[in-house]
Amino acid sequence: MTTTLTTARAGFPGALAHEWIKFNSVRSTVWTTLATAVVPVLGAVFVAATESLQPDDTVLGGSLTASVPAQMLAAVVGALLITGEYGSGTVRTTFAANPRRATVLAAKATLIAALMYVLALVSCTLAYLIGGAMLDNGRYAQGEPLPALFGIAASFAVAGLLGLAVGTLVRHSAGAVTTVIGVLLLPSLLGPLFGDAQRWIAGVSPTSALEKLIQTSDATAETVGSLGPWPSLLLVAGYTAALLLLATGALRGRDV
Amino acid sequence: MSGASPLPTVEDMIEARELTKRYGDKTAVDQLSFTVRPGRVTGFLGPNGAGKSTTMRLILGLDAPTSGTVTVGGKPYAELPAPLCAVGSLLDAKGAHGGRSAYRHLAGLAASNRIPRRRVDEVLDLTGLTEVAGRRFSGFSLGMGQRLGIAAALLGDPEVLILDEPVNGLDTEGIRWIRDLMKSLAAQGRTVFLSSHLMSEMELTADHLIVIGRGRLLADTTMRDFIETNSRAHTLVRSPEPEKLRGLLEAKGADVRLDARGGWRVDGPDALAIGDLARDHGLAIHELTPAHASLEEVYTALSKDSAEYRTHAVRNPKETVR
Repeated sequence: MTTTLTTARAGFPGALAHEWIKFNSVRSTVWTTLATAVVPVLGAVFVAATESLQPDDTVLGGSLTASVPAQMLAAVVGALLITGEYGSGTVRTTFAANPRRATVLAAKATLIAALMYVLALVSCTLAYLIGGAMLDNGRYAQGEPLPALFGIAASFAVAGLLGLAVGTLVRHSAGAVTTVIGVLLLPSLLGPLFGDAQRWIAGVSPTSALEKLIQTSDATAETVGSLGPWPSLLLVAGYTAALLLLATGALRGRDV
Repeated sequence: MSGASPLPTVEDMIEARELTKRYGDKTAVDQLSFTVRPGRVTGFLGPNGAGKSTTMRLILGLDAPTSGTVTVGGKPYAELPAPLCAVGSLLDAKGAHGGRSAYRHLAGLAASNRIPRRRVDEVLDLTGLTEVAGRRFSGFSLGMGQRLGIAAALLGDPEVLILDEPVNGLDTEGIRWIRDLMKSLAAQGRTVFLSSHLMSEMELTADHLIVIGRGRLLADTTMRDFIETNSRAHTLVRSPEPEKLRGLLEAKGADVRLDARGGWRVDGPDALAIGDLARDHGLAIHELTPAHASLEEVYTALSKDSAEYRTHAVRNPKETVR
């Protein structure tokens, strides 16, 4: 071996750098990520321009109406981060370069969580500022943007991680994307069918944590439960962490 | 390539011990034991479905063996601190993402093992891909894809190379390029292990052979011994009086068959005996060629029924480590 390569090592920093290069050199993940950041801003402009707010809505809640679909995109990016590798066959190249699979998954998790947190923080703050500037002063309650915006950004990071966990377990892009969108969307869609249990069913979804954080008038105790926004976020983060552990176990035990 | 250690060491060997892999009730690799040594090209031969690719995935830790072990330089692949600098591998042409450029593909791999970025330019140059480095992989021909796979394998300047069907889809120029590259890497003292179902190609490239069929070891020997041990010499004869010649030969107990190229293919008496026999009977001979079966023929015979051969597998006791 040449002396120049003696510093070579396949550890976490290398895995993270590899993941970053893989992420930003493929169009599908880059564009979906950009859409995640742009959708809340466009949503704020649309809602403010059309004044499509409930009278009891807050400026924060109204401006961030589109953060709910954007959160789904964050989960999709998380899923694509690993299913794209299975689909293209690069998963073997990746694990040949670094056979410590838990390290590789940790690098992916770090990438998606950091990326989504920063992008969502910037995008949702911008959306709130635009909405606030466009809407009439005093007509709607302002809402409490701080520290809620940090929680909103964190809910995007958690959604991305949830997507990554599901993607790791499912492996196929279409199946994983369908599953994560289902996990995010179905509780609120099917919730009403369960009567009194609705607030339990709908209340545990990542979407409901986000709705509580943006303080929208839709997030009533009847529909998404009375659990506060921060405990809701913690709950979602908790089961996402459990799912990621499960995914790590599956990844380590499987043939690729 | 630079800096290869002049003396091969056991540290660069691939060692499989009783390696077994079952998928459900199908046994892909069956108690396979072999050693791949440095300083020579070792060919890994077997028909499709013989277990070559599975064995290679087991070496690289991508699949876990059902039982048995396989190590590279005495360590399981998963324990190598910087795998790309110890083992370069090419599994199939689809090791890169269609949307990513060749340069970014290699840059990512370099980053993963903290290999200096200049190595990317070096391997692109070595594989002749510098001009197309910025192009996306989906626009690559099969041959360019194989070159990119080899560039990736050489990225960490590894002492061990594991290549699955590297000449697949290459034109004659590409095949010659790979052949020369493999030989020069082996000459530098590296361990080169490549699989192929193209036996004619293997005959020209490999010094040593590991042959498997149905997941089991059929042969582990030098290329020359493999052919000599497994093929009976025969002689090609052409005469203007073919029927008379056949009669004479068969009277001497020779096995005479029509050769695909015309003339007789004679098993039994050698060229000398046939020539003398023809002269004694005043027969003209237009061609008299001693021949060995090609690897292709030997291999076809060997793999026809692997069960028949496994009890007396052609392990050569004379074989020595260079």
